[in-house]
Amino acid sequence: MSEHTDRLQIFSSTREAALLLLPTMLFILVFLYYPFVETVFLSFHRIRILGNETWIGLDHYVRMLESSDYRYSFGVTILFTAVTVTVSLLLSLLISFLIHEVDRYKNLYLVSVIWPYALPLAVAAVLLDFLLHPQLGVFTWALDTYLGIEFAWDTDGRLALVAVMLGAIWQGMGYNIIFITAALGQIPSAITDAAELDGIGRLQRLFRLYVPLISPILVFLIVVQTVGAFFGGFALVDLMTSGGPNNATNILMFNLYQDAFRNQQFGYAAAQSVVLFAFVAVMMVIQLKVTDRYAYYGGA
Amino acid sequence: MASIREELDDSYRNALPTSMGTGNLWIHGLLWATIVVLLLPIALAAIYSTQSTFQVYDIQNVFPGTEFIANYTSVLFEHNFLRYMQNSLIMTVVIIGGKLTFSLLAATALVYYDFRYKTLAFYAILFTLLMPLPVRIVPLYQLMAEIGWLNSFTGLTAPFIASATAVFLFRQQFRSIPASIVETAKLDGIGPIKFLVYVLIPMSKGMIAGVIAIMFISMWNAYLWPLVVMTERSNQVAQVGLRFIQGTASEGLTEWNLVMAAAMLALVPPLIVLIVTRKHLLSTLGGGHR
Repeated sequence: MSEHTDRLQIFSSTREAALLLLPTMLFILVFLYYPFVETVFLSFHRIRILGNETWIGLDHYVRMLESSDYRYSFGVTILFTAVTVTVSLLLSLLISFLIHEVDRYKNLYLVSVIWPYALPLAVAAVLLDFLLHPQLGVFTWALDTYLGIEFAWDTDGRLALVAVMLGAIWQGMGYNIIFITAALGQIPSAITDAAELDGIGRLQRLFRLYVPLISPILVFLIVVQTVGAFFGGFALVDLMTSGGPNNATNILMFNLYQDAFRNQQFGYAAAQSVVLFAFVAVMMVIQLKVTDRYAYYGGA
Repeated sequence: MASIREELDDSYRNALPTSMGTGNLWIHGLLWATIVVLLLPIALAAIYSTQSTFQVYDIQNVFPGTEFIANYTSVLFEHNFLRYMQNSLIMTVVIIGGKLTFSLLAATALVYYDFRYKTLAFYAILFTLLMPLPVRIVPLYQLMAEIGWLNSFTGLTAPFIASATAVFLFRQQFRSIPASIVETAKLDGIGPIKFLVYVLIPMSKGMIAGVIAIMFISMWNAYLWPLVVMTERSNQVAQVGLRFIQGTASEGLTEWNLVMAAAMLALVPPLIVLIVTRKHLLSTLGGGHR
């Protein structure tokens, strides 16, 4: 512990410290640790009615492995996450670079592109649901009229996934740009000046010079957005496609919700939660390896 | 308007003379194009929210209609959206109040106290980052059912009041306060609560504003938990309320003009928070380098 933090420790009553921590600890215990442990417990049980549990060992996990629906849902989630995170991050990087390079109105541009951070996913979902509506949507109409593309995402599963991805990319960009512009802003101008003297082109400067320098932030964003896409896609899917057509947009979180709250299979749903936990744990290990920031995965 | 002026002046001052020139024209152009693409869906929705149901079904009609007041009144009162917005606001304010209080107290203990199980307490809070809602939603729902908190604001808010993120942000902020100031407070012999209220909070205003903004945006946008825990429509929040309006059809037609109006209403509060607090939000999120 550094000298500075030692000097900050002006109080020493353990009882006082415990009292200050009590509210947080109590709520964490009741609403986070207890339900988490219970999730693991339930995943080994069959639950007919609430409170009536029978031990069935790994049956739920075996069922998950054997279920082609679940494996399909897993694949859809990976695809949705990979495309959303990659496209959103790449676009955000380019936009942040433009803001970094522009000679004036920097702050005005910045606010005009980070606002999607405040965009509720449910709002994004209903807007796109209408604007991309197969029969009524103005975007669908424009695609058909000017480009000859028939965007029939009510019947074509791949297009449905694209529609949901568009919502996630749109909403995710604000958060990315906030972090990337902050990171770019901290690169010493001497480095940029040296690069300019060497006559390196703009895009080369971005990808050869800046990207390696800000790579910890980029990894941080990949982790946060990957977790966000895994969980956050729920509102989009629930409001736009309900997992369809033919399960094409049935991401894991939607599958879990359906099994828990529509099919009342609480044990099976809990086992799916454990799989999600394993995933979050892996992401967090990666994140702590590369940065000392603690990500906020959102309480929603 | 004054703040915009200041920002413009700032950016003039910060502009590097070497980067001025014609090369900047296409950068402005690309940025404008980006802004248009990002804003287009919102602008269209705003227009549709003023049209009649008949007009909104005419694809090529992208002009403002005459039903602005009628649509928003219908959404707010006939479709209960005012109620949903109020519920969202209550949920958000309760959670923010609780999170701020709890996390400021906890951060004070973690930074200014020397006690035995400090590392343990720190890790106990840290590990909760591994437990987002989807990982504990089934037992949490059962817990709410058992203690009778389903369909209540207690059940809606309580699970989100403890916050690892806020504790860590305040911990980081407190550690950056100079030790000399802290030692002066110690010489004055004040207790921890007075120390928090009269020294720490005034010195952390920017961070507090940033944390409030982050929490407001994330809680206002919550969808899954309200959907699960609120079983009665009248208790529902705005985001899930969109689902009800989307699902209502009049004479077999979804009233998309009303859906768009509701979406605009649900978007406005977090957008205002973002614009008003942008400086604190940006420094809290982006500036947190240690």
